[in-house]
Amino acid sequence: MQRRNFFKVGAALVVAAVAPRMVMAEDFRKTKPKAWTIKNDEKSKKPSLEGTKEAIKQIFGTDKTIEGKINLRAPDIAENGAVVPITIKTKLPATQIAVFQSANPEATVAVFDVHKNSIPNYSIRIKMQKTGYVTVVAKADGKLYSTKKLVKVTIGGCGG
Amino acid sequence: MKKIRIKAKEKNGIVTVKAMIKHPMLSYIQAKKKHKKANFITYIVAKANGETVYEVSTSQFLSKNPYIKFQFKGAKKGDKIEITAKDLSGDTITTKAKIR
Repeated sequence: MQRRNFFKVGAALVVAAVAPRMVMAEDFRKTKPKAWTIKNDEKSKKPSLEGTKEAIKQIFGTDKTIEGKINLRAPDIAENGAVVPITIKTKLPATQIAVFQSANPEATVAVFDVHKNSIPNYSIRIKMQKTGYVTVVAKADGKLYSTKKLVKVTIGGCGG
Repeated sequence: MKKIRIKAKEKNGIVTVKAMIKHPMLSYIQAKKKHKKANFITYIVAKANGETVYEVSTSQFLSKNPYIKFQFKGAKKGDKIEITAKDLSGDTITTKAKIR
């Protein structure tokens, strides 16, 4: 019962968000709850980007992106999948930057809202269950840019 | 959540912040194994001089005891930065620090 109301509120918030106001990162859990539950295909042996593409669509409305203009640093081989350090840098006038991966049950990792005084240079540490792609998408000037990197994981770090 | 550990340094007009939030960050899978409730940080925001300078919505896939690093401009040594973190259970914590 509660869940249905939750989504109804979410829908109302999406309508409100279209008005001249930036969709704040905090609202993401309410305005785009689906973005956080898009699943990766866990059974596929090769890293698959299907889940990532779906999640990008959920968040940005489309999965068409221009490759490049984002500097994504991540280890080629992560010995400990529980702690994979990644750094994202871009000179683009990005307003939103989202991080996805193809190794865990769900695709979306984090969504940054870039503010007036923010400098798009972020470092975070993520968990990866197995080898997979880390994809970063940045929204700038009404366009989507993306870059991805394959990270090999020797010991999975998702509790699996 | 316990106090957030913050290191903020300003150089040439750019403030670099390193912060660590102590949190088990239990994903749904990990929580199931430990027979506990999944709980992880879902939102982190940082403000300096009344302006939001960092904002992120996060998932269960950030590593335990999240360490974050970010940069912003518009503040100088002596100014205060305030970081707030919220988790899935509704718990919120705010910690302030001086920019050195």
